[in-house]
Amino acid sequence: MTASHDARIPAALSRAGLSRRRFLRGVGYGGVALTGGSLLAACGTDPAKPRPEEQVAPDRSQQEKVVNFSNWPLYIDVAGKNEGKRPTLDAFTKQTGIEVNYTEDVNDNDEFFGKVRPQLQAGQPTGRDLFVVTDWMAARMIRLGFVQQLDKANMPNAGNLRAALESPPFDPDRSFTMPWQSGFAGLAYNAKVTGEVSSVEELLTRPDLKGKVTMLTEMRDTMGLTLLDMGKDPSDFTADDYAAAIDRVQKAVDSGQIRTFTGNEYAQDLAKGNIGACVAWSGDVIQLQFEDKNIKFVTPDAGVMLWSDNMMVPNKAAHKANAETLMNYYYDPAVAAELAAWVNYICPVDGAQEEMQEIDPELADNPLIFPDQATLDATHVFKDLSAEEERNYTQAFQRVIGA
Amino acid sequence: MNVAGVPGAGAALRLDGLTKRFGDFLAVDDLHLDIPEGSFFALLGPSGCGKTTTLRMVAGLEEPTSGRIILGDEDVTDRRPYKRPVNTVFQSYALFPHLDIQENVAFGLRRRGQKDIPRQVQETLDLVQLAGYERRRPSQLSGGQQQRVALARALINHPRVLLLDEPLGALDLKLRRQMQLELKRIQLEVGLTFVHVTHDQEEAMTMADTIAVMNAGRVEQLGDPASLYEFPATVFVANFLGQSNLVHARVTGRSGDTLLLDVAGQRLAMPADRSRATAESVLVGVRPEKIYLALAGTRGSGNARSATGDNELSGVVTDASFTGTSTQYLVRTPRGQELVVFAQNTSADRRSATPGDNVVLHWDPAHTFAFDGSGKAEAEEATAEESAAVPRVGVGG
Amino acid sequence: MSTLTAVRGGAPVETPEPSEPTPRRRRWVPYALLLPGLVWLAVFFLAPMATLFSTSLQVGSIDEGYRPAFRIANYTEALSAFSEQFFRSFGYAAMATVLALLVSYPLAYAIAFKAGRWKNVLLVLVIAPFFTSFLVRTLAWTAILGDQGLLLGQLKDIGLVSPDFRLLARPFAVVLGLTYNFLPFMTLPLYASLERIDRRLLEAADDLYSSAFTTFRKVTFPLSLPGVVAGTLLTFIPAAGDYINQRLLGTPRQSMIGTVIDSQFLRVLDYPSAAALSFTLMVSIVVLVWFYVRRAGTEELV
Ligand SMILES: Nc1ncnc2c1ncn2[C@@H]1O[C@H](COP(=O)(O)OP(=O)(O)OP(=O)(O)O)[C@@H](O)[C@H]1O
Ligand SMILES: [Mg+2]
Repeated sequence: MTASHDARIPAALSRAGLSRRRFLRGVGYGGVALTGGSLLAACGTDPAKPRPEEQVAPDRSQQEKVVNFSNWPLYIDVAGKNEGKRPTLDAFTKQTGIEVNYTEDVNDNDEFFGKVRPQLQAGQPTGRDLFVVTDWMAARMIRLGFVQQLDKANMPNAGNLRAALESPPFDPDRSFTMPWQSGFAGLAYNAKVTGEVSSVEELLTRPDLKGKVTMLTEMRDTMGLTLLDMGKDPSDFTADDYAAAIDRVQKAVDSGQIRTFTGNEYAQDLAKGNIGACVAWSGDVIQLQFEDKNIKFVTPDAGVMLWSDNMMVPNKAAHKANAETLMNYYYDPAVAAELAAWVNYICPVDGAQEEMQEIDPELADNPLIFPDQATLDATHVFKDLSAEEERNYTQAFQRVIGA
Repeated sequence: MNVAGVPGAGAALRLDGLTKRFGDFLAVDDLHLDIPEGSFFALLGPSGCGKTTTLRMVAGLEEPTSGRIILGDEDVTDRRPYKRPVNTVFQSYALFPHLDIQENVAFGLRRRGQKDIPRQVQETLDLVQLAGYERRRPSQLSGGQQQRVALARALINHPRVLLLDEPLGALDLKLRRQMQLELKRIQLEVGLTFVHVTHDQEEAMTMADTIAVMNAGRVEQLGDPASLYEFPATVFVANFLGQSNLVHARVTGRSGDTLLLDVAGQRLAMPADRSRATAESVLVGVRPEKIYLALAGTRGSGNARSATGDNELSGVVTDASFTGTSTQYLVRTPRGQELVVFAQNTSADRRSATPGDNVVLHWDPAHTFAFDGSGKAEAEEATAEESAAVPRVGVGG
Repeated sequence: MSTLTAVRGGAPVETPEPSEPTPRRRRWVPYALLLPGLVWLAVFFLAPMATLFSTSLQVGSIDEGYRPAFRIANYTEALSAFSEQFFRSFGYAAMATVLALLVSYPLAYAIAFKAGRWKNVLLVLVIAPFFTSFLVRTLAWTAILGDQGLLLGQLKDIGLVSPDFRLLARPFAVVLGLTYNFLPFMTLPLYASLERIDRRLLEAADDLYSSAFTTFRKVTFPLSLPGVVAGTLLTFIPAAGDYINQRLLGTPRQSMIGTVIDSQFLRVLDYPSAAALSFTLMVSIVVLVWFYVRRAGTEELV
């Protein structure tokens, strides 16, 4: 398979209008059924964090050469239109003899949490050895003791992790998590609809954008950017700062400036011109740009938010060592580059940029996939919230977004 | 076929060349009828002969292919049903299930914005003997009661003509008899013109002043029940209304008012005015109950007419069945014709005939009737049965 | 019973003992047959209901766990915080139900009375949208109603509406989405009840001096009321609890109670308040339905 081929395929697929982040969040009725299930299990739950010996299950990695991997939809390379054929996974199986049961059942952080929480809280296996959730959800799961410490001895490639991602507040040593992909949350606009939009302030107040603005339902991204715009640091702010930011957004909602808050579906609206500008994820914008050069991604001067989706091993996973082998595999720069060429998010692996030169030089030079150190240094991550903060802030944010 | 109506100025309903085709199928064929004001008119015929279709055209529920419908002196052919002063008692009653009896009966009055509705409903329910049932739903009534509600619902509007489409068809025999009398009583009481459709000849004869016998979309004969019975005009009528013995005969001569006939060598006579025949070959008919049966030898036998002037035919009893009030005999003549005889069981000591006995049949020539023997209707029968005699049991008797 | 025994045994003398088991066993049969249904009801309705109710009175958080506390304030707090969404949900659902009725009635009427041999084809067309997912159907409306979409794009091009005009992100779009998505739930029961009407009743009304319109008002419509009641319930109930249409076609200012419950459960993780809201929603729907059916039952159906 030639290098240039690889780059074309994801581009073509993206034109079909889907990517992991653009995939509709779990708003389907699956969510309702799940809601019912969570409710049942919510009856008198045990608060105690599981003790370490309760977290592990006998590792059967040696006997059973399999790993059960749950990930977001459209978040991995596929061969052509054949979704069942995934070149990097197939190569992994060939190399290690480990079969991967790859399931795309993470549609939404909260929903996925609702799905696995009952088992994890009850100290039962989830049937998964590895799954991928966003930073703040990873933080919550670590806090609740739902996930296991990783054995770095099984992961020599872990050292290839980009320095900027090495110590997030919720997991300073990366002892529980490894990033799968990262991305920016910034601004985007459609140049056909409006002139340049360069700050959250403009988004929230510019009269010509009235009713043509959306923000994300991801609280950390929307509120992080708003706090930055107000000169606050999203990794270190007070409850008052947060309240002020909420007020600011609420005003824009009340005035009709903000049309709505979206999951990944803002991308279609932006492309169609239903909205002029929005808070957006970098990977989506790259994919939209394959089709329409009028879609622009903006890094506000006040700064952008950096997020990662993290691989974790849940308690009672039966094939932890195999999961670690898989993580190690994806930290091989060549493999990472192949993956990045398809998914278009920030590649967390050092050395992948060089490998990408061979696959698609244009992508290798894309600062949204391989940002330089200076760019990364200027990014922000959202503060690690205590349980109470998380609840209060989420509650307040949900009120603003009308839920 | 043009049947002259009952003469008289006061025709409540007049059908003029009414015709209905369903595609190629001719359901009603050029119907001419005059129905006098205040009469109880029965439309009698076998299933599928076009009775309902005729009624529906009068009500306006079916559009005639051609012809006119005149109510009183108004041509209503092109009027919508709800603008015709005609009401129908449907074959299926068609009571409104969502309304109680009171409202079912009041339905027509309300539509015409009439006053004094409760009193009128009360009177009508009294008339059909359903007072006290006002608040019930149709589903809470028996079949006979539903039928009476259907009647009340139509009657209350005092239509120019009330159309009844086999209103008693769904009732059992006993109830039907009872309702027949009641219907007749009501009709006399309110004095409306009733057009009553039925395939039950007995029902028609019990109730109607005038009967039109319909067959295959045409009226075969029109008249009062007695004259239809005593002097049927066609084979169809002769057989549909009661039973008839029909025998092929040849006109041999005429003496005064008497017509002389020859039936396979035996000679018969009849009054000339009871023959509608125009040709020499005729069908001669006599009702089974008009024939007397005598054992051979107890009466002068032979081909000659007896001294009393009765017509005589000799034969052998092939079957005798006792039915209570009478005994029904089948008698075969030497030429193979079969005749039906009803003998009243009047005397206990009278020796009855048994199969195998030689008998002589005799009847008053005045009870004989005749019509053309080469008509369309009996052509089929002639091929169906080789014998010259055609004993038949009426349909729906 | 005794005759049964006598006949069966052919015994001239009756003994009461052997005749006993038969009727006793018989009396049990209906209950035994009910059992699977009762078990189903208990497991899939009563148990969740009881858990939901108990959850709605608990206190705690995801980190501390939840414990029963019989805290009525969960209800008062949730209701005072979200009463707006409650009323809006019922308002939108009512509007959608009325619209669906207005659209469906002529449609069902035409299919039942006028479609002739096209009846089946039309029925399939009515349910055809159900062959695709709810989500996809709803998203299709964003394409139709979009600011530059099929409808407005054209109108704006010819200058009929101002360039800033929009249909999406307004109550209109949400109600329209609800109406559209639940339309077959209205059309099918209406069709079924209209189809069942005996045509001879309409002829009878015609014969009894009713014009076409009066026949409709006095006979056809009253007889179709069971369909109207079924259809409005089948539309109103899911519409009141729906949150997809608001999320995809509306804005936060159109948020409905379903959205709130979803968010309280999955995002805020406030299970008690979510349970309290769910329970309240359910009870209010049951009460509304009860009044509605009673009213429809006593006044309209008579
Ligand atoms: N709508 C129609 N389309 C085609 N043929 C019809 C239609 N209605 C009636 N017919 C035919 O017309 C003929 C007369 O029907 P009609 O209903 O008048 O019979 P009827 O004399 O009332 O019989 P019955 O005693 O069984 O009620 C029948 O052969 C019937 O099949
Ligand atoms: Mg009929």
